[in-house]
Amino acid sequence: MAAEFSSLQTVALRCLPADRERNIVLAARRGDAEAFRELYHAYRDRVWTVVISLVGDPLQAQDVLQVVFFKAFRSLGSFRFQSGLFTWIYRIAHNECRNHLRKRDVPHIPLEAIVGSREEIDGTRVSDREEMRKAALRSAVKHLPFKMREVVVLKYQEDLSYTEMSRILGCPPGTVASRLNRALAELEMRLRPFKGPV
Amino acid sequence: MRYLEGGVAPREAKRLEWHVGGCRECDELLARLRSGHEAGRQFGRLGPEAGHRPPEFEEIWAGIGATLDRPARPVRTGGKLLQSLSAPLAVRILIALVLAQSVLLVVSFRKMPSWVTVGAVRTEGGPVLQGYAPVRIAEFSSNSEFRVVTEGFVEEVYFDEHERSLHIRLVEAPHKPAPFVICEIRDLGGLTIPRPGSRVRVYGTARYDAQPGRGWHEVNPVLAMAVLKR
Repeated sequence: MAAEFSSLQTVALRCLPADRERNIVLAARRGDAEAFRELYHAYRDRVWTVVISLVGDPLQAQDVLQVVFFKAFRSLGSFRFQSGLFTWIYRIAHNECRNHLRKRDVPHIPLEAIVGSREEIDGTRVSDREEMRKAALRSAVKHLPFKMREVVVLKYQEDLSYTEMSRILGCPPGTVASRLNRALAELEMRLRPFKGPV
Repeated sequence: MRYLEGGVAPREAKRLEWHVGGCRECDELLARLRSGHEAGRQFGRLGPEAGHRPPEFEEIWAGIGATLDRPARPVRTGGKLLQSLSAPLAVRILIALVLAQSVLLVVSFRKMPSWVTVGAVRTEGGPVLQGYAPVRIAEFSSNSEFRVVTEGFVEEVYFDEHERSLHIRLVEAPHKPAPFVICEIRDLGGLTIPRPGSRVRVYGTARYDAQPGRGWHEVNPVLAMAVLKR
C-alpha cells in the first residue's frame, strides 16, 4: 500500500515516463540539443505556471524561466535520479523566483486599485463582475508573502500533496500544512471585501 | 485542512464538529479556512492569464545553447573529492590551476575598462550595482550571462513600432555600425534619453531577438543607464 502510494506520488510529479526521462537526461548530459528540446517541452508549461504565478510580471517571468532552464541544463550532470526531474527543476525555479523577488521590492497594490471599490463593483454587469472577481483572486494570491503564495500555487494549481510539496520546498509536511493554513486565512481576509455577489 | 478536504475519519470529524459547535474562536477559524480553501480552488481553476505564454525553445536556446556545447559533467561527491585532493599529484595540479587562473585574472583585469570591479559595477559617482556581468558589445555573440552591463556610443534612438518601445542602437566605436547591440527601454521611469553620439553604460537583461528581419543581440529590458559623456 505504501509503495503504491509512493509510486502514485512520483507519477503526479512526473511529466515523462521514468525510463524516457532517464534516457533524455543522459542524452542531454552528452550535449544532445534535441534532448534539451524534449526536456524543455515536457516541463516548460508546468514550470511556467508556477513561475508566472510567483513572479507575476510576464516579462520578468520569461527571464526567470530562461534562467531556471539554463541552470537546470547546466547542472544536469549533478541530477542523481533520486527524485523526479520536475521536483529537481522546481527546486531551481523556487530559488530563482525567491532570489528574483528579493532583488525587486514588489509594491503592495490594494485590491481596490485594481478592481474598484465595493460600490463600483455592485454597479457593474455580471460578466464584468466575473472578470473583476478573477482579477481580485489573482491579485490576492499575487500579493501574498512569497512562502504563502508558493504553497497556494503548488496546492491548487499543481494539485500536489503535502508530501510532494515538502519534497520540493525542503521542509516537513507539517510545516507545509501550517503554512497553507496561514495562507488560506490571509487569502480569506484579503478577499473579504469582495464576498457576496462579486 | 484535512477536514475540509474530507481526509479525516468520520469519528474524528464528528469530534471536531462537536468542538467547533461550542467554540466560537474555532468556528470562526474554520469558516475562514473554508472560505480561503474555496478561493484557492477557484484560483487553481483559473490557470495562467490569457496572453501570458512561456518562450519557445528557440528563444531560450539562442541565449543558452552556446554555453552548453560541452556535455555537463557529473559532480563528484564530497568524500571522493577530498580523497582525490589528498593525492600529491592532484595537489600539484590544483596549485598549477590556481596559478594559471590568477594569471588569467590579472590579464583579463588589464583588458577591462576602469569602471569594472570584481562582482560589481561602479557607476560614476553613483551607487554600486551588484550582480551585473560586464560584457563588451562585440562579446554579446558569445555571452552566456543574463544580467549584463555594457558600454558604448549611441548611434541612433528611435521608437520601434513593432515592439512599442524605445530602442537605442549602441555601437562600440563612433561611426562604426558594427558590432552593435539594441537596448530596449520599456519603462522610461527615471531614465534619461541619451543623445546620438553620447557614451552610455547600460544595465539589463541580455537577449537575442530571433524574429524574422531582426536577428540581433539586445539588452532588454534596460533596467538602468548612465550617460558617461554627452
